[in-house]
Amino acid sequence: MLTLADISRSYGRKRVLDGISVTFPTGLTLLVGPSGAGKSTLLRLLATAEKPNGGTIAWDGVALPGARKALRATLGYAPQAVDLPEDLTAREFALHMAALKGLDARAADLQFGAITERIGLHADINNRIATFSGGMRRRLVFAQAMLGAPRLLALDEPTAELDGETAASVSALIVERAAEAVVVMTTHLADALAPQAVQVLRVDQGQVAPQ
Amino acid sequence: MMPGAQPAVQPGAVLRSSFLTSLTRYRRSWGLWLLLLIAPVGARFMISDESGRGVAIAVADQLPVLTSAMLGVWLGIVVTTLLLPVGYIYLRANTNRRQPWQVEEVTAAPRIAMLLGRFAADAAVLLGTLGTLTWAGWFLGWLMVSGPYSPWQIAYPLWLIAAPPLIALAALRILFDALPWLRGALGDLAYFVLWVASIAMPIVAADQPSSFTANLFDHPGFVRPLAGPEPAGEMNVQIGGVDPASLKPGRIDLDVAAGLHAPGYIAARLAWIGIAVALVLVAGLIYRPHRSGRKRAGQGRIAKLLSAGPPPAARADAPPAPPARSALLGLGLAEFRLIGAGRLFLLLAAAAALAGLSGDYRHFGSPAALLLLVFALCAHAGRCEARGLLKLTATTATPPMLRRAAFVVTGLAWSLLLALPAAIVRGSGEPLLLALTTGAAASAAAMALAALTGSSFAPRVVLLIAWYVYFSS
Repeated sequence: MLTLADISRSYGRKRVLDGISVTFPTGLTLLVGPSGAGKSTLLRLLATAEKPNGGTIAWDGVALPGARKALRATLGYAPQAVDLPEDLTAREFALHMAALKGLDARAADLQFGAITERIGLHADINNRIATFSGGMRRRLVFAQAMLGAPRLLALDEPTAELDGETAASVSALIVERAAEAVVVMTTHLADALAPQAVQVLRVDQGQVAPQ
Repeated sequence: MMPGAQPAVQPGAVLRSSFLTSLTRYRRSWGLWLLLLIAPVGARFMISDESGRGVAIAVADQLPVLTSAMLGVWLGIVVTTLLLPVGYIYLRANTNRRQPWQVEEVTAAPRIAMLLGRFAADAAVLLGTLGTLTWAGWFLGWLMVSGPYSPWQIAYPLWLIAAPPLIALAALRILFDALPWLRGALGDLAYFVLWVASIAMPIVAADQPSSFTANLFDHPGFVRPLAGPEPAGEMNVQIGGVDPASLKPGRIDLDVAAGLHAPGYIAARLAWIGIAVALVLVAGLIYRPHRSGRKRAGQGRIAKLLSAGPPPAARADAPPAPPARSALLGLGLAEFRLIGAGRLFLLLAAAAALAGLSGDYRHFGSPAALLLLVFALCAHAGRCEARGLLKLTATTATPPMLRRAAFVVTGLAWSLLLALPAAIVRGSGEPLLLALTTGAAASAAAMALAALTGSSFAPRVVLLIAWYVYFSS
């Protein structure tokens, strides 16, 4: 379980998150709200990619920064934009990420094959990322986030740029993982996924509230 | 692994993966093969004869006798003095400069292991280049050396002199990538200062008898091989372009071996390798994450002064923009504005223009204006030559080469504008003439190098070195 207490985040004078308190239980949490409302900022805070200006984030009851290592050891993070290494193949990149996550290389290779098969990327995993379209890149970032058995998944618009069928495949994987993990994601497909979500939160004007 | 169990990150696996992926990326980039090709081809121009063609090393106004050992020393010294910036540019501008930090930095992988892996790959690439240079040295030696030909005596001094600074260079790159403020232009400036200092520091070693400490100051490693183990006093050594007319007839026979085996010399060379590894460990300890796309806006009076201010009021009924009366003029004005973007640039430009009103313009006002332009030109050239943006701008009605030409012309215009107050106050055309030549050269070089590498690193370092030559000449 991930808990945020009185979290604030500002950029200069602009306060993006203003003393929010929210709990993310096991299951799927959808973040909705207008562009620039702070959804991605909130995900970056959950993923320890940024630090809050104030407040406490706790993972399994232990507050950060003490729990940062434990959280990162079981985190799967898919931000919207990643400087992907264009000259590596998708598989090489995934295996590198597996090494950084401390996963067994052979098992990670097998798992990457299985994930990419389901999301329609498997035929291209030995191709260089430089040849990938926007949607393929998005799926690759999603696939690396799913490696291992992450207990916390922070996904920023994982289905953007995907056609309906592929988006459904990605969503199905996310829902499966949400059975045993805390999954927090922003999406433009909130209506379709809401029935499977344990909560839908609206982020707006620095506040987070149930939709 | 048990469900729910947390994987334990193995530092060895992280190091190996970082090393292999970095090396794979190097292997697949054309830049590495170009570097490996240039090194042996360029070796011929690293050795000069009495004609003065190529890089000369003169001791007491004489070229040294080119024995096998001297050839190795010569190549090594050229690498550690003149060619190190090329290595720096390559490391900073190569394919590995883009890392997927957005997902790497939230893993539990130890930073030290990650950085050691990247460092090992960088060092391997630089040492690989030294390897091709060694082959070239053997071939040149076969053609050029006086006395017995010994491949070992060529390779040994070359590697003893050049390998430690190359490894230290790889470490420095890693250190610069560890801190946000050194990842950009400030890092290049810091490297430039360190490089100049590394060439000047050996003077300390020359005045003292050979010892570990004295030789540690000699980062390029040329003092003992050229001056021998005894204190050299005022060392008369020239490295680089030497006027053939200034050379005395005949050649000086240097006991290179005595210098290489002087007390503390080898230990100091090896110590630089240790320092390099220590730098990487420090980089891992002080590593700071990249900043996300959203940057913190500054606060306070200075930030207010430098900020662009509120946007103009929007008009809901604004009509579609018509074509410009003169597309070329519009392009030029846009480039002019983008080179001089931000109030900070305008403030510094005003200061540089004022600096030229008094004193020796050639040695004060002109270098001040040129230094400012180097940063502004390189920043804009690097921005607009970024591969992703090029794909977009190439689809506009303005061909990329026309935009590049506009950049050079407007860069020149900025140069002339900065020199104009000095020309008016002094009533002389000299400032404008200097601005014309320096501005045109800087603009053209910045754009050419940025277009070639897709980044601002290469033009910035090259132009900083050129600026230093201009300033000190």
